[in-house]
Amino acid sequence: MADDIVFELLHSEIINYALEPKNTNGSKEVDLSVVEYIGFAAGYKIMERLTREWPRFKDELDTMKFICTDFWTCIYKKQIDNLRTNHQGVYVLQDNAFRFLTNFSNGHQYLEYAPRYVAYTCGLIRGGLANLCINSIVTAEVQSMPSCKFHIHVQRT
Amino acid sequence: MAVCVAVIGKDNSPLYIGGIGNDTSTDNELSRQWLVHTALDALEERLATTNANNATASANAARTDLRDLYLGLLYSTDTHKIYGYVTNTKIKLVLVTSSTSPSGSNIRDAEVRTALRRLHALYADAICNPFHLPGDQIISQKFDKQVKSLMLNNV
Repeated sequence: MADDIVFELLHSEIINYALEPKNTNGSKEVDLSVVEYIGFAAGYKIMERLTREWPRFKDELDTMKFICTDFWTCIYKKQIDNLRTNHQGVYVLQDNAFRFLTNFSNGHQYLEYAPRYVAYTCGLIRGGLANLCINSIVTAEVQSMPSCKFHIHVQRT
Repeated sequence: MAVCVAVIGKDNSPLYIGGIGNDTSTDNELSRQWLVHTALDALEERLATTNANNATASANAARTDLRDLYLGLLYSTDTHKIYGYVTNTKIKLVLVTSSTSPSGSNIRDAEVRTALRRLHALYADAICNPFHLPGDQIISQKFDKQVKSLMLNNV
């Protein structure tokens, strides 16, 4: 679909822009915090819209289920394949065919560049949860190419 | 229909308070603020009981209603009726109608519900303005105009 490809291309251009030498202060370390922040702002705003027709969430797990189903379907046209939790504020969301990674060759060829393509989505999840009053740290883990795991650590005060 | 509507943020700070009407008592900012803030305690009380009921996990039919975003009539005084609505993102929408005017005395619950749902839609649009930072007051003139017409339009 046309609108999907526009989103994908814009996303990869944002990453290319963020990785330009002038933005990384000459250091070898790649700085993806800008991309993560863009995701955060988008997630925060989209959440207000998505939860409009939704009954009030019962608890945190209910909210995570919403992220896995409706939120993911809205953005990536599929649901999260696996949700696991230790019931103490750690959630692991596994997507077996993460859309930003499906265009690359499967396996290990581009594995070192994979973190660039998940930073935006980490921010997206964090922003969405922040608007629902859940402060969290979201990290991603890519082991073999099209599949990706997102770890959500809920911060309790 | 409505004489005043307000959008209250997550930390109970007012994001937007707007009012209309020739009724002088509600036409000034101070009394509007007062009216809206008297309702906040009632609103939180309503939310607390909702959570308590859910915790006991009673499998009654009313439970689905308790999860409704619309909270109904919160508070009524001699001159005004105050209705509340809380979004999933903890934004509180408050609508004040006059109970003295002939049109205000026989307002149906469904009308208020529709008005608050539309206000929620307007708020969601205002939030998507890239110049708006989360937690800031809403200063968009477009939003103001749309809310004013919502208040005048009898839903």
